[in-house]
Amino acid sequence: MPLPNLFRLIYRNIRVNTDPGSLVILVGLPGMYLVFFGFGFASLASGGSTAYLAYLTPGIMSFQVVMAGTVGGSMLWADRRWGMLAQLLVGPFTRLQYLMGIMLTSMLFGLGGAAVMLGVAFGLLGKIPTQPLALGGIFGAIILGSIFFGSLMLLLGALVKSNTAYNSIQILLLFVVNFASTVFYPLSPSLPWILRILFEANPLTYVADAVRGSYTGTLTPMDGYQILVLLIETVVVLLLATRAYLKADVSYE
Amino acid sequence: MGAGDPTRPLPGQIPTDAVVYAENLRHTYDRKKFALDGVSFTVHRGEVFGLLGRNGAGKSTLIKAMTTLIQPTSGALRVLGMDPARDGQKIRERIGVVQQGESFDFTTVQGNLDIYGVLWAVPKAERAPRRERLLTQFDLGDVRKRRAFDLSGGQKRRVQVAREFMHDMEVLFLDEPTVGLDVIMRHTLLDSIREEVRRGLTVVFTTHNLEEADYLCDRAAVIDEGRILALDSIENLKRLYRGKKTVDLTVGGGDTTRFYRELTERLGTRATVTTNGKVAVILTDDPKEVLSLVAELSQATGVQLEWLNVRQNTLEDVFLQSVGRGGGPVAAA
Repeated sequence: MPLPNLFRLIYRNIRVNTDPGSLVILVGLPGMYLVFFGFGFASLASGGSTAYLAYLTPGIMSFQVVMAGTVGGSMLWADRRWGMLAQLLVGPFTRLQYLMGIMLTSMLFGLGGAAVMLGVAFGLLGKIPTQPLALGGIFGAIILGSIFFGSLMLLLGALVKSNTAYNSIQILLLFVVNFASTVFYPLSPSLPWILRILFEANPLTYVADAVRGSYTGTLTPMDGYQILVLLIETVVVLLLATRAYLKADVSYE
Repeated sequence: MGAGDPTRPLPGQIPTDAVVYAENLRHTYDRKKFALDGVSFTVHRGEVFGLLGRNGAGKSTLIKAMTTLIQPTSGALRVLGMDPARDGQKIRERIGVVQQGESFDFTTVQGNLDIYGVLWAVPKAERAPRRERLLTQFDLGDVRKRRAFDLSGGQKRRVQVAREFMHDMEVLFLDEPTVGLDVIMRHTLLDSIREEVRRGLTVVFTTHNLEEADYLCDRAAVIDEGRILALDSIENLKRLYRGKKTVDLTVGGGDTTRFYRELTERLGTRATVTTNGKVAVILTDDPKEVLSLVAELSQATGVQLEWLNVRQNTLEDVFLQSVGRGGGPVAAA
């Protein structure tokens, strides 16, 4: 019995995007952040290297959702640029299936990357959470974050008309989203107010807080509230991305 | 009025063997100029139907409409008896499309064929044998491990066509499939397509190469500025101008503009003169009259004859004649 259309698209996306170069970016970069930042900044943190590594690990796992999102956006752009988008859309697929295919592939990359980071953390720290509830919380937040950032990048990919502009915006966004979040450091009252607003409005902060809370078993009602906001934001961005994409010109020439 | 509007023809009005049925199809991208301007034609099952025209004539827009990528602004369109506006996915499951531009996955030639087989749900047991047959048929065995993007233009084109044959289809739409191919590869490709046609495939094929339309097509439509100027079997298209001769002429020096203007005026409706700078193609029943006028006017205007040739007309002349006069249809089928 043939696989449903969506699964065939996901298979194709994974096969096309799992070349060594992409994997280095997807897993190697966050892995390097974990190792270099984890040990490099440890001297600045109270409690030594283990404490900062334990703090940073869930942050880097959350960082995977942004990486996965960029892979999703890049997939759309590559398909557009190399003619495969139009080619697939004259095949047996609908636009929505194609979009969902990219979204779910991004999510799988996000989950895979987070699992690899968990493995790296086990190697560095010797322990990781194994309780079903903690793992459910971690991977649930990763799934939601991947869909949010996947949708955001797809929306950007559908709206921006030039590949150069898309790449520039993506790099800028990646930088701001990662460093204005609680991925690498906590939200401190000593931060300038504008940075504090940026931190608090950043969806990656919600993902990082939820993953960290699940990882350390310290989830608070605030984390639940943040996840609810993230869920609403995800639905909105997903709808906007779908709408923009369904109207986007995909014709060749 | 959209393509799926209530004025569409009833199923009984469409020929039973029609694979594509288009009636008064119009499409505009900018609401100012029509890329398709009242196009009507039928493609019958098992035939190779050519769309001939210059770049920008409307061929690709027509292909996009037939392959459901765009929805025509108005008119009726049926592909395999279905309305593309309503049954796009069902149509796409039964067609194959080789687009004009490059389209590859960033992997090897073999990988591209394999992935396409998966995308089209070709059973696993059939994929490898089919891939091997196509790699051999399209002479791609030596480059199977190379990335598709690293190949030459001709090799890429062969990969695109070969890839499309990874799945079964009832109609194949080919948009300029031989661009960038040398003569030998062009004929290899066209022969491969012919082979599939013998097995019952219907082909809709755009080209501006008239020689290959002559080689491959059963019928052809000459399209220009979104309108069909001529539509008939290749033989009939050529027969339309039976007895006519073509005079190829190249002049230089002197007042070439005046030379061609006076030549056109004095020949009147007895001949069709299509000029492009110093070069002209003249279709006429009486080449002697043209030759005598050319001699007379070359002296009067001081132009020099660089090339003069009289020959039997070809499909290319039919094309030039149709496009040159820009009038209504020469023939309809």
